[in-house]
Amino acid sequence: MSALRPSSLLGQMLLAVAAALLLVQGLGAALIYRAQRERFQADTMNAVAFRLIAETRGIDRAPKALRTGPRALFGDRLHRFAVETSTESPLQSGERRDVSAEQKLREILASQDFSAADVIVLRRAVAHDSYAQATLTRRAGRLDLPADVLDHAMDADLYVAGVRPAQGSGWMIARVRAPPGADALLVPLLLQTLALYAVLVGVLALILSRITRPLAALTRQVAQFAATQDPAGQVAPMGPGDIRRLIVALNAMEWRISSLLDEKDVMLGAIGHDLKTPLAALRVRIESVEDDVERGRMATTIEDIVRTLDDILSLARVGRPSDPLERNEMSALVASVVEEYEDMGEPVELEPTERLVLEVRPTWLRRALRNLIGNALRYGQRARVAMVREKDSVLFRIDDDGPGIPDHALETMMHPFVRGDPSRNSETGGAGLGLALARAIAEQHGGALQLANRRGPGGGVEGLSATIVLPFA
Amino acid sequence: MNDTAPSKVLLVDDEATLREPLAEYLTRQGFLVTAAASAAEARSRLREDKPQIVLLDIMMPGEDGLSLCRHLVESRDIPVILLTARGEATDRIVGLEIGADDYVVKPFEPRELVARIRSVLRRASRAAVPASENEILEFEGWRLDPLKRRLSDAEGAVVAISSVEFRLLLAFLEHPRQVLDRDRLLDMVQGREAHLFDRAVDNQVSRLRRKIEVDSRNPQIIQTVWGGGYMLAADVKRLAQPEE
Repeated sequence: MSALRPSSLLGQMLLAVAAALLLVQGLGAALIYRAQRERFQADTMNAVAFRLIAETRGIDRAPKALRTGPRALFGDRLHRFAVETSTESPLQSGERRDVSAEQKLREILASQDFSAADVIVLRRAVAHDSYAQATLTRRAGRLDLPADVLDHAMDADLYVAGVRPAQGSGWMIARVRAPPGADALLVPLLLQTLALYAVLVGVLALILSRITRPLAALTRQVAQFAATQDPAGQVAPMGPGDIRRLIVALNAMEWRISSLLDEKDVMLGAIGHDLKTPLAALRVRIESVEDDVERGRMATTIEDIVRTLDDILSLARVGRPSDPLERNEMSALVASVVEEYEDMGEPVELEPTERLVLEVRPTWLRRALRNLIGNALRYGQRARVAMVREKDSVLFRIDDDGPGIPDHALETMMHPFVRGDPSRNSETGGAGLGLALARAIAEQHGGALQLANRRGPGGGVEGLSATIVLPFA
Repeated sequence: MNDTAPSKVLLVDDEATLREPLAEYLTRQGFLVTAAASAAEARSRLREDKPQIVLLDIMMPGEDGLSLCRHLVESRDIPVILLTARGEATDRIVGLEIGADDYVVKPFEPRELVARIRSVLRRASRAAVPASENEILEFEGWRLDPLKRRLSDAEGAVVAISSVEFRLLLAFLEHPRQVLDRDRLLDMVQGREAHLFDRAVDNQVSRLRRKIEVDSRNPQIIQTVWGGGYMLAADVKRLAQPEE
């Protein structure tokens, strides 16, 4: 069922309106059909009454008012049946009386002061009516008609009305030919209804698509803006007034968002500049401190502040990098980061890598790798770096031999300003932004950061595995 | 350095909090320091004091450091070291593209700044100016852009190399098919990481090989000459920089 229900605005509205329209038009058509049938019945019964009255009072005194129906009701050259008088009711066994027609005939007769004790109306094929057959055969013989015309005439349907007048004992039986296919009324009505329906639904589809086309364009543009935060390629206002206003409002909002982001970047740049200049001054001034140990501590403190500041600024900018993606050979990039640590005499190993080209922002990716390697060295004594290519991704895995992270804290460790065991971290410094930044950088490249404890055969934690997974097209 | 006449340094920074202690520090380190608080002031100091090197802050009100740097490079032959608060690669490339000789990121270690000033002065004083930086050097399908300090492979993918590796490779490309011994390489490559470099010429060469050789254990491009040193066994083509 749900597969049949359209999900788009156009589809849903079209379906709803088309269904409602079908219902309304169907009702209308049914009402028209009923009215037409009633009119047809009235005409037929008028014709029957005319016959009966003309029979009893003479044709001149039969009221013209009863000649309402089409001429055919009053008979063509073949189907014009004289009123039969009989002592028996025309109802044959197995036939059904047409109660509503009887009711109608009674009313008409009453209005003409023709009092009837009994009225029977029924419909019957000529083939089952011996009186009508006799009449037709006699007429055909007199008019010298060919047999097929007679056969055709025999196909007709009759309304047979038997009336027993109040005074007198026998039945007067009138026959009127039912117009060929009273149901023929239905076909043009249905065709007419369907044609109207098709036109209405077509016009509706046109109007609705005019409304929804700008919505589709708008959706594409907003999705693109969400991905790039770049308001370029905005949809020009179009479509009906409401949609037009929606487009104008969304465009204005996008400009506002992008200018807020621009302001944020400018502000961060200013903060960075305004804090780093006095820090640079301080760094110069401590050179005059005589005590080497004291000066070294001061320098370390300043470095910590600068690193934290850089991490905060980077975290704030990571979603909107100003540098473009660039095709880079990954094994060289990973090697160059590892070599920085080798040069500082740090225990970092690089496992053999193969050449592999990816589109990345090298400055950012280096930073993520440095953060992970730095963590491994800080908490796990040594770092082993590996780059592994899988089916549709590239893994940059940094393993350490440290105590790992409790399983329940693996996820929260990647949130900003969260650090592991405080007693262990107080001596190592850092604001707890390294993993958050590494994760944000992985996401900036469409990838993810995964943390996992490496377990030995005995189930004991042997170290932490931090993996950046980047998609590889 | 101290046995010759002190080098004249022009320090341009709008922030007095940094300018004053840095001028004092550099003076203590044996430089003759003139300070300027704006690009305009720097221009007049340039005429009067004839400095040998300019330390230039990028972000200044009025005319900024990059604009003054461009002017310096175009009109005079004075080396420039940029002082920048931002360390992003794009800033560095813009600075180096318009002709700055080096840059430091605030807050820098003062001793490192001094080392770089000396290194830039030493390079500037040498007659052997490296090949025009406006050309791209091509060898064995590789391309080195000296201006952006960028190495790319035959498919155009960037291959990360450190600044030591860059200068080492540049030295090889400037002297193709010549045997360069370790002392000669050291001399040509000595830059700001000199203290790292002289410990391990061989180490740096093997790192460079890992990045550009098909099989670094059987090197074809940078070959070892027994008892002699190393040699670039490739032809170097010079290509014009693409217009941007």
